[in-house]
Amino acid sequence: MGLLEDLQMEIERRTLPGGGWASGNGATAGIETTCYGLMALRHDQEPARGKAIAVLSRAQNPDGTWSAFEGDDREGCWTTALAFIALRFVTISPTRLDNSLGSILNMRGREGQWPWNWKFRTVDRHVQFDPDKYGWPWFSGTVSWVVPTAFAILALKQAACCRTESVFKRIRLGTEMLLDRACPTGGWNAGNGIVFSAGLSAHIDTTAIALLALTDDQKSVVRRALNWLRGASPRCSSCYSLAWTTLAFLLRDRPAAELSVARLCEILPEKLTTLSTDTLSLASIAIRASEDGRNPFKVN
Amino acid sequence: MNRRDLLLASAATTGAALTAYFRGRKFVRDVRPSRSRLAVLSADQYSEKLDQLVYDGIRLFDLDVRGKSVLLKPNLVEYIADKPVNTDTQLIGAAVEAFLRLGAASVTVAEGPGHHRDTELLLFQTALGDQLFHRRVRFVDLNRDELAKVKLQARYSGLGHLWLPRAVLTSDFIVSMPKVKTHHWTGVTLSMKNMFGIVPGCRYGWPKNVLHWAGIHESVLDICATVRPHFVIADAIVAMEGDGPLNGTARRLNKLVLSNDPVAADAICARALGVSPEQVAYLREGSLFLGRIDDHEIL
Repeated sequence: MGLLEDLQMEIERRTLPGGGWASGNGATAGIETTCYGLMALRHDQEPARGKAIAVLSRAQNPDGTWSAFEGDDREGCWTTALAFIALRFVTISPTRLDNSLGSILNMRGREGQWPWNWKFRTVDRHVQFDPDKYGWPWFSGTVSWVVPTAFAILALKQAACCRTESVFKRIRLGTEMLLDRACPTGGWNAGNGIVFSAGLSAHIDTTAIALLALTDDQKSVVRRALNWLRGASPRCSSCYSLAWTTLAFLLRDRPAAELSVARLCEILPEKLTTLSTDTLSLASIAIRASEDGRNPFKVN
Repeated sequence: MNRRDLLLASAATTGAALTAYFRGRKFVRDVRPSRSRLAVLSADQYSEKLDQLVYDGIRLFDLDVRGKSVLLKPNLVEYIADKPVNTDTQLIGAAVEAFLRLGAASVTVAEGPGHHRDTELLLFQTALGDQLFHRRVRFVDLNRDELAKVKLQARYSGLGHLWLPRAVLTSDFIVSMPKVKTHHWTGVTLSMKNMFGIVPGCRYGWPKNVLHWAGIHESVLDICATVRPHFVIADAIVAMEGDGPLNGTARRLNKLVLSNDPVAADAICARALGVSPEQVAYLREGSLFLGRIDDHEIL
């Protein structure tokens, strides 16, 4: 049996009795992990797949958002965009996702609201960014960060049926935010490139996720990030980061993607039972996307 | 003023004082140890010699950890070559060994890095993964552990509750193992600020920005009031000063600080960095109910 099949079987084996997958060793389905798990399985891997969809359906809040895990307080957060991407990938009825799209549009980093915008413009300049360019927070009541912004942009770009002016505006603003907050040496850290006048170094996974959201962008910031990732990924030993790197390269640089997936396949086998379900799922998604082109983070 | 006026005035003054006291008091319990004890050990390098040094140091405190589950919470933030950002892995390994020798039923190392989502990569880059593998110790990524909703035992931040990892909540004995550093937002980051790492990223983000907006000092106090570390092993062999916690410069202090009191440990470490503990809001306020800035016994 091939590595991809081994991965998918291991993910299936870890399915919780109630469906979905826990982030760690627990018994509660995490929304992020369940989204990755769902995208990682083959269509014939029932009942794990069906149960994962059921978890996401029952965990959806009345306003269309998702919280962080099943049983969490009913407050929507960044996982809403990820659940949107995952459910769209497994072709659930689009009408069920309409609410989610509206919720994503309503969510914004605190710097996008005037009192805080003013604060970051005038009295709080330790973190150097343009507060007019805002994206999405991890959780409401906080500022924008790179990963939730990238996922929200992806979700909005994938919602081809709903390209209203407000959607375009948020995509544009979110994109500008990502471009504004890149690290001086290329790529992205968690949120800002410069803090207290010091440049931060980029993270591989964050950079890859941001690049997925900016696939159709050719600005110099994006090219620099791509070059940074090309330099950083060959030395990377983390399956989690390599999986994201592969997914990003597949949409921009096929030879780099092949190197990245080869390294992933070299490292994975010895860690199959010890890696987190998030990592196994992302590795599965990346390997399969490199084989058949089915990349859930691609904008059609 | 007659006697009746005097009585009324006294009653009013007492009432006002009591109201101010109870309105101002933001913690549930005074959990300061009956005796705050500190040990400052000399160590000039990170090597296997730390195994014996840490073991001997802990024994000074007569801790009873026999049969208990011990959780070590180091400071693992980001790998930056040549920057002393993280608690040294050799020291973490030494602490693991020491608690096992003292009869702990289990020792777990657990951390939820603040803004780095790839914990697997951090474990590799810092060599902590190797260290734990060789010592056969379990690592728990607190950013992705099973969670339980917990009522906070202080109300500085106004958050009321936090979802916290089961690995932390079910441990019998928690050891905060900070890297001694200055911090551009809070002045210093030591054993109390290190407890930020128990707050899970999967529920509060990377970084845990909810805590920043609720106030860093306030959140530190609420977290430590709820999950007060039982013991501290602070890595001050090579500390960081200047633009900490990431971009500061190395400063060799050649010390390990051990204590049963996180406020006492942080106070002495802050002074070593040239920061007055009274100037650090969470230490000043923490000295009312979590530990002592002064008045401790040096072992």
